[in-house]
Amino acid sequence: MRILVVVQRYGADVTGGSEGHARTTAVRLSRRHTVEVATTTAQDYWTWANHYPSGDDTLDGLAVHRFPVAAGRREDFKDVERHVLMEPHTLADEQEWLRAQGPHAPALLDFLHERGREYDAVLFYTYIYEPTAAGLPIVPERAALISTAHDEAALGLAPYRALFQMPRAFGFLTPEERDLVQRRFHNGHIPHEILGIGMDPAPDHDEAYRSRFADGPLVAYLGQVSEGKGVDDLLARWDAYRANGGCGTLALAGTVRMPTPARDDVVVLGRVNEAEKWSLLASADALVLPSRFESLGIVLLEAWQVGTPVLVPSANAVTAGQVARSGGGVAYDGESFGDALAAVLADGDAMGARGRAWVRDECSWHAFDDRLERLVGLAAV
Amino acid sequence: MSKPKTLVVVQRYGDGVAGGAEAHARQLVNRLKPHLDIEVLTTAASDYRTWENTFTAGIDWVDDVPVRRFPVLRQRAWDFKLYERRAFAPLHTLEDERTFVDAQGPYAPDLLEHLWRAGHDADHVLFFTYIYYPTVRGLPLVPERAVLVPTAHDEPALGLSIYEPVFHAPRAIAFNTEEERALVHARFRNERVPNDILGVGVEVPDDRSADRFRARFGVDGPFVLYIGRIVESKGCRELFAYWQRWRTAEPDRRIALVLAGQAEMAIPKRPDIVHLGIVSEQEKYDALEASVALVVPEVLSSMSMVTLEAWACGRPVICDAASPVVWGMARRARGGLAFRDAAELGEIVGLLADDPGAARRLGEAGRAFVARTYTWPRIVGTYLDMFAEVRARNGESRLGLRTMRERAAASV
Repeated sequence: MRILVVVQRYGADVTGGSEGHARTTAVRLSRRHTVEVATTTAQDYWTWANHYPSGDDTLDGLAVHRFPVAAGRREDFKDVERHVLMEPHTLADEQEWLRAQGPHAPALLDFLHERGREYDAVLFYTYIYEPTAAGLPIVPERAALISTAHDEAALGLAPYRALFQMPRAFGFLTPEERDLVQRRFHNGHIPHEILGIGMDPAPDHDEAYRSRFADGPLVAYLGQVSEGKGVDDLLARWDAYRANGGCGTLALAGTVRMPTPARDDVVVLGRVNEAEKWSLLASADALVLPSRFESLGIVLLEAWQVGTPVLVPSANAVTAGQVARSGGGVAYDGESFGDALAAVLADGDAMGARGRAWVRDECSWHAFDDRLERLVGLAAV
Repeated sequence: MSKPKTLVVVQRYGDGVAGGAEAHARQLVNRLKPHLDIEVLTTAASDYRTWENTFTAGIDWVDDVPVRRFPVLRQRAWDFKLYERRAFAPLHTLEDERTFVDAQGPYAPDLLEHLWRAGHDADHVLFFTYIYYPTVRGLPLVPERAVLVPTAHDEPALGLSIYEPVFHAPRAIAFNTEEERALVHARFRNERVPNDILGVGVEVPDDRSADRFRARFGVDGPFVLYIGRIVESKGCRELFAYWQRWRTAEPDRRIALVLAGQAEMAIPKRPDIVHLGIVSEQEKYDALEASVALVVPEVLSSMSMVTLEAWACGRPVICDAASPVVWGMARRARGGLAFRDAAELGEIVGLLADDPGAARRLGEAGRAFVARTYTWPRIVGTYLDMFAEVRARNGESRLGLRTMRERAAASV
């Protein structure tokens, strides 16, 4: 089959969860199909500035059609966002949203209009940006929407009302995303596939890495160190855990975007490389992922690959759902963080083993390829 | 129990509004109003060529139904045809299509604003005709409760990308005919959207008199009847050409072509072509009663009301074999014959005139077809089922979900 993947950014040095998923999907599908990518010339999602040359490019052996960003994120986007999400406003205000948010790439839409029907299936990544919100309605009869939707206010805006009724199939990252979308849009009749992700086996790690930390339990956090990711909440809970007599070390690995306490039991590592990441995951007795918004929680899967159990807040339906399905950890709420951590430390080997087995089954390339194949089968005309 | 709230969106509505789809909307509203709490959302325009605001914007009442009229902010662009040509050209952009839809009108953004705010209070929103601005821009605002009556036929606009959401996003589609459904499914591949054949009910009076017609108009002898505007777009040019060619080849036969309707083109002046002008409803049915058959030369249509009325009167139809809808219906109904050229038109007219038994058999088959498909009790019942399914889906009823799935599966 001929398959087109549409995504707002695409490139070897493009970071982002849905962009990464798009690239993985394109590469995996290309083992059995002819896959091309349609995207913009942008590299970053904050300005959408033209970075790559427009025209035809190649990445991982696949043809990438890049279309210029005619308008990036508008300078007053924050105002537009506040206005349409929090204040009384008009339909016309909501219809401004896509353009103000960017990337506005009319040539990409005209490409779909002229050439979209040459593909058997078109996979659209991320509901929120114009390439999908305005592009999918051009070829709905062969479209799959990989929405990567969160429970966020933008999901209620006018440009998305029809979008979620039109695709021939949905690819969701988790069952929780499916439940959210079906609850919001009453579109349970549209067939779907829960995609999850496929992963390479974990690389070998440095056994000596553990000795960098004090004896006693080692609890790791991996990701951006910021309030947005819930690290402030994690630190408050860690403090309470220690005050109640808990012991151990909390290691924070990732770009630091907030003030961190100076104390012996909290080690701030800053950004770590891949080797250090895997060594830290393997050395840790538990991984905590405190964020409330997470579309997949890939770091949980990585922890399970090396047999490390995890702790997640029960308020995050996605990560709590992953933990419930795998049995690879515990979800905490309110004041139960200390008890939850104690439970994980007490039964860590068994939980880690369950997590490892679950990832081996669910996130193998074979299983992921099968799910992608089913999605394409549902979407293709 | 309160009745389900229903919004009906249509480009024009009310007295003095001519047009098949608009008349269809009003008839249906009047049939559905005992069962639903209906409000019509429309424009202040009555003429589709100008969209001039001839009605007063605001709340109006038509047949005891509230009608909310919104002003048309731009009259149809004088250079509309230019935008149309650009959008229909093989190489055109999406911007050309958007410009075409705005220029075609009726451009009434306040209607959209209202639909966006109030649409969620309605249980269902019924959209009439796929092609105009209120549906193109309005349906995507309430897709989960939208039911579309597309009245589509094979025309260039149907090929535009801008209409994809109109056909893929609604919760259900009410087609007028099997042929319209086949056309839309072939074009859009939207078989998954639940749908049914609805159309309008056909009711003809029992009191129909051939004698009254002949006395009133002084027509004697056998004749075939044409009803409607006498205009090239309805196939009248071909009809006249074929008729004359055949009569030249077969001058002795005594039969006439009778035309009922307003003439918008020259009618050949000959003794065997009789123009009645505009006739009343009663005169129309009397004329059908007196006729050998109804001739329907129109090739492009989503529905032919006069065909259904002829059948309801037990008369056969003679149609153009190139018409997907009329000939498709006639074939399924076994209620008529189709011609491809002048000789075939003559053959068919001669056959039906000479063999009243054959004409009667075809006419009766047509009557049975109309009774099966195009009666108000069936149509109203089917609409109410469709609406109940829309409500069930949006209320997450398991029963509703199952029914919708079965319907969707059955229609693929």
